Amino acid sequence: MMRRRMVIAFLAPALLLYLGFLILPAVQAFYLSFYDTSGFGDSAEWVGLSNYARLWGDSVFWRAIRNMALIMFVGGIATFGLAFLFTMLMNAGMKGKKLFRTLIFMPNVIAVVAITTFWSFVFMPRYGMLTSFLKAIGLDGIAATAWTAPENVFYAMMVGLVWISVGFYTILIMAGADKIPADMYEAARLEGASTFQIFRQITLPMIWDVILITLILWAIQAVKIVEFPYAFGGPNIDQNLYTPAIYLYIMGFGQRESVYALGYSTTIGVVMFILTIAIIVLMRFLFRRERVEF
Amino acid sequence: MSDFISARGIKRGLSYLVVGGWALFSVFFVVWVVLASLKKNRELFGSPLSIPTSPQWGNFVKTWVNNRFGDYFLNSLLVTSVSVVAILIVAVPAAYVLSRGRFRGREALSSFFAFGMGVPFPLLFVPLFVMMASMRLADTLTGLTIVYVALSIPFTIYVLEGFFSSLPSELESAAVIDGCSDVQVFRHVMLPLAMPGVATVAILNFVGLWNEYQLSLVLINSPENRTLSLGIYSLITSMQYSGGDWASLFAGVTIVMVPTLILFVILSEKMISGITMGGVK
Repeated sequence: MMRRRMVIAFLAPALLLYLGFLILPAVQAFYLSFYDTSGFGDSAEWVGLSNYARLWGDSVFWRAIRNMALIMFVGGIATFGLAFLFTMLMNAGMKGKKLFRTLIFMPNVIAVVAITTFWSFVFMPRYGMLTSFLKAIGLDGIAATAWTAPENVFYAMMVGLVWISVGFYTILIMAGADKIPADMYEAARLEGASTFQIFRQITLPMIWDVILITLILWAIQAVKIVEFPYAFGGPNIDQNLYTPAIYLYIMGFGQRESVYALGYSTTIGVVMFILTIAIIVLMRFLFRRERVEF
Repeated sequence: MSDFISARGIKRGLSYLVVGGWALFSVFFVVWVVLASLKKNRELFGSPLSIPTSPQWGNFVKTWVNNRFGDYFLNSLLVTSVSVVAILIVAVPAAYVLSRGRFRGREALSSFFAFGMGVPFPLLFVPLFVMMASMRLADTLTGLTIVYVALSIPFTIYVLEGFFSSLPSELESAAVIDGCSDVQVFRHVMLPLAMPGVATVAILNFVGLWNEYQLSLVLINSPENRTLSLGIYSLITSMQYSGGDWASLFAGVTIVMVPTLILFVILSEKMISGITMGGVK
């Protein structure tokens, strides 16, 4: 029915662009990770696995990995906890479910830099919105907290990050929950099940596959995250905000003084890629479970 | 019995308070930013939660003209629109063939494209930068557009395949019996049917690329090629030295946020259903 010529003509442009500007650079990245180079003209020197060895002993890299893990687990528990809570409450027969869902999702269509600028103002030392607010309600003690001090800045960032993420994961989880037949809820309610019991015994098992996908999505996003913490950190970003991707960017392109350690920088990318694959394989293995048919 | 009802009532009220409160914060965010952009700096810091006494439209003039956000806006609009059109031109036919064609290796090819969604973009920062430099496309909007198109292909094809495979095959057969060629079947039968899906991916890509920031940070260097997100970041950087004109900064934030918010107000259902389809298929 479809001629070979058409198949080729329809696929070729997409395939060429994809191969040339995504697959080829990805392959080059692996190759680059075995070299020491600053790009521009000077010859790249083969260094074998020494970029990886250096990375292994690099405390800044480990701090970035630690931050990544904190986003994945602490941020993940907060994000999924709230997304589950909202799904549970909205599915218990709230009116205006659609409007609430839309508003909760809304921050996701706004540029990340716009959102981080707002949160920077909220957490600004001395004049920030949070400080003014706490002073206004008489909590001067807490108001004196330096939210952007090195020991706090990471969690200040996480507040904004979780705020956006909750909206995104709520709509994914709700879309799964919406597919559950309504009569199952009604039957459970007639039996006297509570909102939480219904969520725990019906919703969760029925949307297990959706939850698995969203968890994988969250974990791989945590591995590659760069925009939110980087923009929140501003021009002299604190190392407490580094994620692997931010460290990669800084080692490659620097800030005011460029580093141009292109080989070393790309090695971080390769580690991120391996982590991504490992997460997908591991999660699929851990959460292997019969899918409930309905 | 009445105790039971009131306990239920309290629970219900609490649900509205929690969900409604969270939802209202989104509204507060937008309204607050717009109000902040119209304040004097002293007002912004002195009473961050007040309504501006006299709207300072000058903040917008300053941001648009002096801080060159007018140029950045045009750059963003140009790069985003051209990218979206190009993405559709290459991805729609490919997704059609991948979901409706019958040839060997179709499924493998489909998975190969989907694989691209698993590649973390930071892995590509350095190789893309070097590649663009060698093609003399570094620090150009053309180079940025090519990268945007290529990196949007996996997601776009993935979502479109879902749309195309949900279309009934009877129409296809009927058109063939009526003497349509394979290309005509695509152009006159299947493409019009898939238009809602095409529109969805167009909107999602538009919003995503309008807000995009990490790739432009790597690939764009000169001030005249900045997109809006880069413009805001560079304004924050310059504020470090010139003192904080936060009101003008929020005018810039308003400029970057209003176009996607307008799209969202009109098309939120379409966008949300597109995202949930891509994520939870």
